[in-house]
Amino acid sequence: MAEPLAIETVELRKHYDGMEALRGLTLAVPKGSIFGFLGRNGAGKTTTIKVLLGMARPSGGDARVFGLAARDEQASVEIRRRTGFVSDDKELYPYFTVGEMVRFTAAFYPRWRTELEARYLRAFELPADRKVKALSHGMRTKLALLLAFCRGAELLVLDEPTSGLDPAMTEEVLQALVSHVAREEMTVFFSSHQIAEVDQIADRVAIIDRGRTVVSGGLDDLRERYCRIQFVFDGDAPEHAFRAPGVERTRRKGRVLTVTSSAGSSALVDEARALRPVSIDVTPIALKDIFLETVITEEA
Amino acid sequence: MLFRPNPSSGVPIYLQLMEQVKHAIETGALRPGDQLPGMRPLAEELVINPNTVAKAYRELEHEGVIELRHGAGAFVSGTAGSTTKVADKVRAGQAIVAAAVAKLRARGVTDDEIRRLVDAELSGRRTGGHGG
Amino acid sequence: MLWYKSWLETRSRFFIGLALVICSAVGVVLLYPKVQQLLVTLPGTELGGEIGRKVREAALLASDYRGYIWSQWYRQNLIQLWTIFAVILGAGGLVSQMSGGGALFTLSLPASRREHVIVRAAAGLAELFILALVPSLLIPVLSPAVGQSYAVADALVHALCLFVAGTVFFSLAFLLSTVFTDVWRPLLLALCAAAVLALAEQFVDGLWRYGVIGTMSGERYFRGGGLPWAGLVISAAVSASLIYLASTNLARRDF
Repeated sequence: MAEPLAIETVELRKHYDGMEALRGLTLAVPKGSIFGFLGRNGAGKTTTIKVLLGMARPSGGDARVFGLAARDEQASVEIRRRTGFVSDDKELYPYFTVGEMVRFTAAFYPRWRTELEARYLRAFELPADRKVKALSHGMRTKLALLLAFCRGAELLVLDEPTSGLDPAMTEEVLQALVSHVAREEMTVFFSSHQIAEVDQIADRVAIIDRGRTVVSGGLDDLRERYCRIQFVFDGDAPEHAFRAPGVERTRRKGRVLTVTSSAGSSALVDEARALRPVSIDVTPIALKDIFLETVITEEA
Repeated sequence: MLFRPNPSSGVPIYLQLMEQVKHAIETGALRPGDQLPGMRPLAEELVINPNTVAKAYRELEHEGVIELRHGAGAFVSGTAGSTTKVADKVRAGQAIVAAAVAKLRARGVTDDEIRRLVDAELSGRRTGGHGG
Repeated sequence: MLWYKSWLETRSRFFIGLALVICSAVGVVLLYPKVQQLLVTLPGTELGGEIGRKVREAALLASDYRGYIWSQWYRQNLIQLWTIFAVILGAGGLVSQMSGGGALFTLSLPASRREHVIVRAAAGLAELFILALVPSLLIPVLSPAVGQSYAVADALVHALCLFVAGTVFFSLAFLLSTVFTDVWRPLLLALCAAAVLALAEQFVDGLWRYGVIGTMSGERYFRGGGLPWAGLVISAAVSASLIYLASTNLARRDF
């Protein structure tokens, strides 16, 4: 039975002690994709991941991984058997050595890939007898990645994999990730608030703000759909409520009306022609701006 | 030979890759029959999504620019005709643009204004002309 | 592999505890000649009232080697020392590892919450059993050194009573460790509970028959009344319930 979605949530809700962390989050992560999960700090990224992996129980809605229900304890164990996870804090066991961490983890996964273990130990230059507490943050991240890669998992769930890393090491990590994904059949779900890395390696993206999805889709599709249209007028820019769909934001300043659109430019340009602008400028906008505009809009 | 695409430009990475390949063919860096880098090694080298490389190669094949030979890899297609046609078109276009830019500069139009005029003209064409 | 992790996490505590109970056993045996001498010179018989009675009773017990071992060690030093380690070994665990202990990594493994609880509890209890058995067996082994002998059967029975009844404190600390996010509160609260119980059993008549401390000391057996079955069964049941509650707590907890 081919399950097309590696991860699926429907109207997922989670509250902690009166604070609503997730307010109806809907996500669909297709198998084989590299899915970037973007959001500000506190938007609910880590909570979502914890619910998917059975570390926290949802308050409402549905969450499924490989078609299995995340809130069911037995199913959750099975989900974790097929998933590699790297937490935000990259915490491992301080008193274990690198070698012991590897052997410990390997014991839980019958599909452990010993050839990958050897390769990554070499590539990441991880000394087998160094204690985890003596590793730098970057080395710990790499070790955590190794432990996730070698499990023979179908899905990698990474919570801010490059946080706290310098640019060189960030690149190393991204390269290792891309390289691993290129060789193995797998899905990657990673959360981040580094737009650049999502831009670089993700093929699908979701932006989450205050517990809800505000943007989601294929990254190329988003790049093609989102654009900024600038209309310049002879006099003051008119106030116009666009009927055409896809208007995310409009800004009027003096003679200029700027519209951020999520549905391309043709319909809006056609509609605006009646207002007789002097010039029309259409520019593509980058993911960073899509992020800033959709997330800040919510606050306004 | 293929440069790192700019992920933050707002232009899809696969399009940037396609442009790079076509440009390489036009300038002669890639000739008909030359083999392109494998999809996996290229993705690893550029640190981009392997699916993106696959998409770029598929589109290039669809446009007839390259051939994907099963098991052997990707090769620049042997239709030398289309290559030189493209190169000719580009060279002719360069001449026209050079002349237009010179004319506009002579009228005192700044480079930024020239760029904006060109962009507006291009998008106007895409959306059916602008008003005013 | 979870066993190995539990072992690594608790082995320092275990070894310290083991060293201390061994020293305690060695100490109590080797001190016997000194104590005998002291008893002879004790002016206790002149004291009146409650204190005098207690002193005379203690002297009477200690005049016999078996009584000495029981009254000074099984009823006192060993219980105190061992209980402290029961509580120390019961504390710790996933909840306290949320900051700096890799709790999320542990939770990402394909093991259920129940498995985590069972392994940690079983490992702790195994260590506690050794902490009760080893020093107890040392008594019959070392007694000839001071010219005495102590029945192995007695040692085994007392070790059993100590362990089975004392698991209550382990389980209490264990349960509390699924509620509090630091290691100290479960530890201190469980120790307070032990202290309160000890005091209660001192002052409430007859409680020692069923009470935890009384059962741990094996008083009934010492006084020839056979194994304290009621106390053992009640303690075991209480321990099991506390661990079950801990398991439920942990299963329901959000991390």
